[in-house]
Formats: sequence, structure tokens, C-alpha cells
Amino acid sequence: MRNPFHSSFAAVFWNEVLLNTKRVAPYALMLLFCANAVLWWGWGPAVAKGWATNSDFYIYRNYGGFSFILGLPIFTAVIMGDPVIRDFRLGVDPLIFSKPVGRASYLLGKFCGNFFVLVCCQSVFGLTLFLLQWVPFSGMVTLPVRVFPYFEHFIVVVVVSHLLLAAVYFAAGTLTRNVKIVYVLAACFYPAFIAFVQLLKMLPLTVRVLLNPMGFNFDFEFDEWRRSAEFINQQVVTYSWRAYANRASMIAITGVVLLLVYSRFKIAEAKRSEEMTVLNLSLAPARIPYTLDPAPQHRLLDCEESRERVTLPKITRTKHSTLLKLVAALDVDFRLLRAERSLIVLVPLAILISLFDLAFYRVVPEISYSATYATGTANALLLFLIGMIVFYTGEAIHRDRELRIAPVLWATPVSNSALLLSKWLATVLLTLAVVAMGGLTAIGVQLLRAHTPVDVRPYLVTYGVILLPNILFLTALVVALNGLLRNKYVAYVVEIGTVAGLFYLYQTGHNHWLYNPLLYDLWKYSDLTGAPLLLQRLYCLALAAVCLALGHLFLRALRNRGH
Amino acid sequence: MLVIRDLVKTYPSGVQALKGISLDQPAGVFGLLGPNGAGKTTLMKILATLLEPDSGTVQMNGADLMTDKDHARRMLGYLPQDFGLYPTLTAWQMLDYFAKLKGVTDRKQRHGLIDALLDKVNLSSARRQRLGEFSGGMRQRLGIAQALIGDPKLIIVDEPTAGLDPEERVRFHNLLAETASENTVVILSTHIVSDVSNLCSQMAIIRDGKILASCTPRQAVDGLKGTVWEAIVPREQVAAIKPHLRVISSQMFDGEVRLRVIAKDGRPAEEFAQATPVLEDYYFDLVNQAAA
Repeated sequence: MRNPFHSSFAAVFWNEVLLNTKRVAPYALMLLFCANAVLWWGWGPAVAKGWATNSDFYIYRNYGGFSFILGLPIFTAVIMGDPVIRDFRLGVDPLIFSKPVGRASYLLGKFCGNFFVLVCCQSVFGLTLFLLQWVPFSGMVTLPVRVFPYFEHFIVVVVVSHLLLAAVYFAAGTLTRNVKIVYVLAACFYPAFIAFVQLLKMLPLTVRVLLNPMGFNFDFEFDEWRRSAEFINQQVVTYSWRAYANRASMIAITGVVLLLVYSRFKIAEAKRSEEMTVLNLSLAPARIPYTLDPAPQHRLLDCEESRERVTLPKITRTKHSTLLKLVAALDVDFRLLRAERSLIVLVPLAILISLFDLAFYRVVPEISYSATYATGTANALLLFLIGMIVFYTGEAIHRDRELRIAPVLWATPVSNSALLLSKWLATVLLTLAVVAMGGLTAIGVQLLRAHTPVDVRPYLVTYGVILLPNILFLTALVVALNGLLRNKYVAYVVEIGTVAGLFYLYQTGHNHWLYNPLLYDLWKYSDLTGAPLLLQRLYCLALAAVCLALGHLFLRALRNRGH
Repeated sequence: MLVIRDLVKTYPSGVQALKGISLDQPAGVFGLLGPNGAGKTTLMKILATLLEPDSGTVQMNGADLMTDKDHARRMLGYLPQDFGLYPTLTAWQMLDYFAKLKGVTDRKQRHGLIDALLDKVNLSSARRQRLGEFSGGMRQRLGIAQALIGDPKLIIVDEPTAGLDPEERVRFHNLLAETASENTVVILSTHIVSDVSNLCSQMAIIRDGKILASCTPRQAVDGLKGTVWEAIVPREQVAAIKPHLRVISSQMFDGEVRLRVIAKDGRPAEEFAQATPVLEDYYFDLVNQAAA
């Protein structure tokens, strides 16, 4: 009998797992999910309301939120969207398809391998919650240690829901070979799902439960905010036949989607538009003639005689054109940042984050609704912006070396400051664009919830005084750290570690503006125009200038060494 | 025009890449020939101001390239051995970017220059094509186009034809030959001997960080006239013959071995016939002797 571990399916499966172990995304997701679990455990509603953090209800509630709220459907697209596209993009496809590997083994191996990695990432959330049962802090209510609910609810609520989503993303990526379509689908998930749930609300309970693809709040609906903690802690979440039927139907639909992929998948190169293939190299000799005469001098001579030489026009060069060079470099760096595929995920996420607090919770106006909305989005966006700056500044700083264009670039008469500032400014501009999008979303929500009048000034003041200096400083800091550490991944780890450490300090009460230049948790809207806060902002900008100066020194050292 | 004196470079790992290189090169194409690891790329990087030598000087038209790097970069066109392009930009956008970085500020002049460059390297029809879709030959041609921006006086091309098919190689040779002029020095680093014999008016052979010889390709070949012999011998006899001869190269040919040898005192053995010397003979002989 053939050993199943030696089958082509197993080979493709393990290769996918191996490839994912070399990617950053799975580790970043694990880190994010772990941090989420810690936050939801220690700073979620359970502690405030006296709910047991390991009660059946709270475990189930956490999984439901995790599965839907914090972007997991989008992260599923990140892992599941491009396994097949990757083979075609890297040109590995002829090597694979020239081996005796069946279409089913290949596709199923790809799907299962990546889904396994996705489940491993997701399970970090559950495992963290599971382990945290042993370390409750004072004031936290816990029940005796439990095991089964963590696994049961994880499989029912998270794994099965994302199995279908994963199959849909996988199908879209495999059949279209276009990862952008996958990300557009992922970006459309939230509006589509919210609209679908609104429709479901009009239907009878049985139909509602049967059709709910995310499998949360099956037929277990009560208002937890009005119930006592004792009641909540004693609740046991059980699944009815309808819930099991729902889960079974999701698995069946997944099977149908994969069957569709199997029947429609073709190995042949996808058709490309004629525009993409206009350059035919075989026509070139007509433009630059040459003979196959083995005597080289004759060959070149023939060319000179028979070919019309293209003479380059005379040009004048400006000696001091640093500003033009800076603008040119900024233009290119910004274009390259804009072309980053991950933006398709991050922009909807930014909108979701800025919308979430304001759209679903009661808003109590501080000075005005606009001021409260502006303050809320500024606070909500801060952590997101830190992550974005860390990632995109790292990409911008190391891109030239990774693409092996640095030697050409560094051999041109462009100053280090132009090269450095262009990358810094490009990331700042990109981040500001995301902030603007978050602000516009907040204004949109304000209008939708009829929290009028809408006043733009509080948004400008809050973003101008709080977010803008923070962005300038953070970007400069990341530029300096990347210049110092020279390795993008080491820089990521150091930066994320520093942020996590500092935020832990701030949470535990050690919060002073001297070592909290971002002023996290240190300001209210009414402080924004006061002299002390403006002074603190100047301090933040001064730090940004110091970081840029350091970054400049590091780049100069790097360029002088030529690597 | 280009004067290199006593260049020494040792990497932190202890590898001594250059051991006192000195060269003089007037205008024209200069070929730097040597096996992999000879120190060619290190020398190219120093000339391109990307690497600091431990000692020695490089002067171009009297200006020191090592002390005034900004001035050096204004007269430099550099095509590295291994270079990349921004895959999401088009050929036109990429050249526009480099033209701005080289100080071509006048918009009209810049656009005219880019159009002419694209025409010169036969990429006009691909001007709006993304660089990620370019073939190896197209990338090399775009590489030389960017090196030609700004009327450079010193053009450095490091192993530009490695990996190109014969058609693209010829096209690239033609481009380089066109580039050389009365007031331009083109330094071509390569390990492909025919690149040098096709293009260069002057050449040097480098090995283990030292210049073994510096002359014109014609002088090199003329020096071997009447001394190169060739024979096809059974494979099993090669081991016995080799120690007694100055073998330049031995190649498998139809199940037997084609031996080329140098013998200054007449026919080395009966089976040998006189052969016309080529630049490869000079190169192999010199490198073999240095290795011995």
C-alpha cells in the first residue's frame, strides 16, 4: 500500500507549509492575534463587568469577535489568495507540472497546506486565551481551568467559518491569477456581510441560523449588557441541530467551491492583452542590423555603415538641483509605495478601525460631536499608524538594496539627504492619506448617525496637533533605526518590541511626555490649543529632526561603504 | 584621461581583492578581462565611487574621483554587473527619474534625451511597458541607456553580456561601440574574451587582484604568431602528453581531445599543426602561467 505521506498531495502540502514558514505574514499574524488575545483577556469587558474570563460564554464571545471584527477575513485573504499565483509568478509552474502530479493533488495540497498555516495562526489566539487562565490578575474573575470549550468553539466558530472564506479566496486567486481581485473581494467582505446580516434579520430564526456564514450568535442571542455577571458565568453555549446543519452546509459549500476550482483550473498561461506583447524581439535586427561574420571588426564596421546612428541631443545640466532631485525621488518613492499590494488590505482596515468605535457605540459629546469623533479616530488610529509606519518605512528604506538598484542610484550625483528625505516624506504622505481617509470616514459616520453639525475644524486641529507630529516623529525614528540596524526584519522586531514595551509601561501608569512623545493617553481635546501641549509637540518634532540627522549619518556611512 | 595608481583594497573578511593596480587609459573602450573572483568588480565599484580603496588614487582628466565624489558622479555612467529596476515603473519613467537625478532639469531637453535614448537602445516601442515585464536583454539595454544619461566622460560596464543570448550580445556590443568617442572612456569588465576582441582598443588581464598584462588585443595576438599549435589526440594519450607541453586549452571534440599548445621552438610533435592565434590563446596562456 502506498504511504500517504509520500504522495504528491503530501509533497505539495508540506512544501506550502515550508514556504509559509519563510514568509513574514504568518508570524506577523500570530503576533497580532496573540496581542489581541492578551488585550481582550485583560482589558476587555469581562474585567469591567465581572464576567469570568474563562466562562463558556466569554470564550464563545471572544472567538466570534476574533473571527469577524479585527480583520481576520482580510488576513485570510493574505494567506489564501496567492498560493497558485505565486508558482506562476516565480516561474516554478513548468517545473511542477512537468512532474507526475495530478491537478487534484496539486490544488488540494495547495489549499490544505495554506489553510493549515492559517489555522495555526488563528489558533495562537485561542492558545493564548487558554494559557492565560493560569495567570489571572487581581480583580479578575476566573472559573476552574477549562479545556474543551476553547477547542470546541474554536473549531465551530472560527475554523469552519474561515474554511469557506478561504475556499472562496483560493478559488478567486487560482482561477483569475490576479491577487488584486482577491484583495478587492476581501475589502468587499465587510459591507457585503453586514448587508447580508441585515437581510437575514427579516427571516425566521431557523433560516437565519442556517444561512449565517460566520456562525456567530446562532440561536444564542441575549443582551449580555443587561444580564448579571453570575448569569453570564453560568451560561453554557450549546449548538442546536440548526447550528450543526449550518456548519455542515458550510463545509459542503467549501467542497463545491473546490470542485469548481478543480474543474476550471488550467495549467496554460492565462491570456494577456495584446498591449502586453507588442515588443517582439525577433523584429529587432531590422532596427539594429548586424551580420554573423565571425570577424568582429568587420561586423561592427558593417553596422556603422548600414545603420542610421541615433545621436543624443545636447543637454545642459544644473549643478545644484537638490530640490528637483528630492521631488523626483519623492515622486518615485511615493509611486512605489502606492503600488504596494498590501494597501488594498490596509486602507479598508484603517476605515474599519476609525469607524468601529464610532459606528457601533454610544457617542457622548465632549465639547462637540465633531471634537469627540476627531479625538476618537485619532486615538483609534494611533496603533494602526505605528504598524503602518514601521512596515512601509522599512520597505521604502530597504527597497533600493533589495531590488539591487542601489549601486546605480548611488553612482548618480544625488545627495544623501535627497535620498533619505524622499523616503521619509513618501511614507509621511502615504500615512497622511490614510489619516485623511479615516477622517472622512468619521465624518461620514457622523452624518449617518445624525450627530450634526459637522465641523471640520476639530478634525484639522486634532490631526494637525496630535497625529501629524506623531507621524513625522515615528517615520523619522523608523528611518534612523533601519539605518542603524541595516536589516529590515531585525528593525521590525526591535521596533515592535519597543512599542509593546512602552505601551506596557504606559498602561501600568508610568506615563510621562518625556518618554511618551506620542502623548498616548496624555491629552484631551480641550488641551489641544494650550501652551504646555504645544511645547510637548515641539519636543516631538525636535526628536524627529534628531532622528533624521542620525538617519542621514547612517545612510552616508552605508553609501561610502558601497553596500 | 583615466589614470589609476596603486589601488589596494582588502575586505574586512581579509580577502585582498586588489594588490596595487595601476592603469592608464586614453579615450576609447578599455577591456578588463579576468576570471571570476579576479577583482574586476571591486575595481569597477571603486571607479564608480561606491567603494573606498585602502590606498591609491584614481584621476579622470586630472580630477581625483576619490576625494570629490559628487564631481566624479557627474561625469560617470555606471552599469553594474547585477542591477535591478523598479518593476512597477515604465521604461520612460525610470529614465526620467535618472535624468533628474543627474541634474537634467530642463523638461523639454530631458524628454528629448529620453526619447533619443530609448530610440538608441531600441526600446521606443516598450516605453510604456512596465519594467517587471522586461526580458534580460531589454533590461541590459535600459541599463546602458541610463548609463548614457548626462553625456558621461567615464562609462563603467561590469560584465554586461553575461546571460545574454548571441543576438542580444551583438546588439549590446554595437551600442557600446557607438558610445565610445574622442572624449569618453568606456571600461568594460568581462570574463568573456570575445567581448574584448570585438570591442576594445586597449585591454588588461587581471587575476588575484593584480594586472598580469596590459596591451592592445592586436599586440596580444601578434605576440603569439607562429607559436600556437593544435592537434586532435585520443583521450587516453592526453595525460601523457600534457606534462611536456605548454597547454593553452584542451577541449573534447568528437570523442577525442583538441589540444592547443604554445611552442616557440617549432612543432612540438608530429600530430600538431600550426594554428592561427586568437585572443583566447593569449588569455588562457597568461592565466594558466599565473596559476602555475
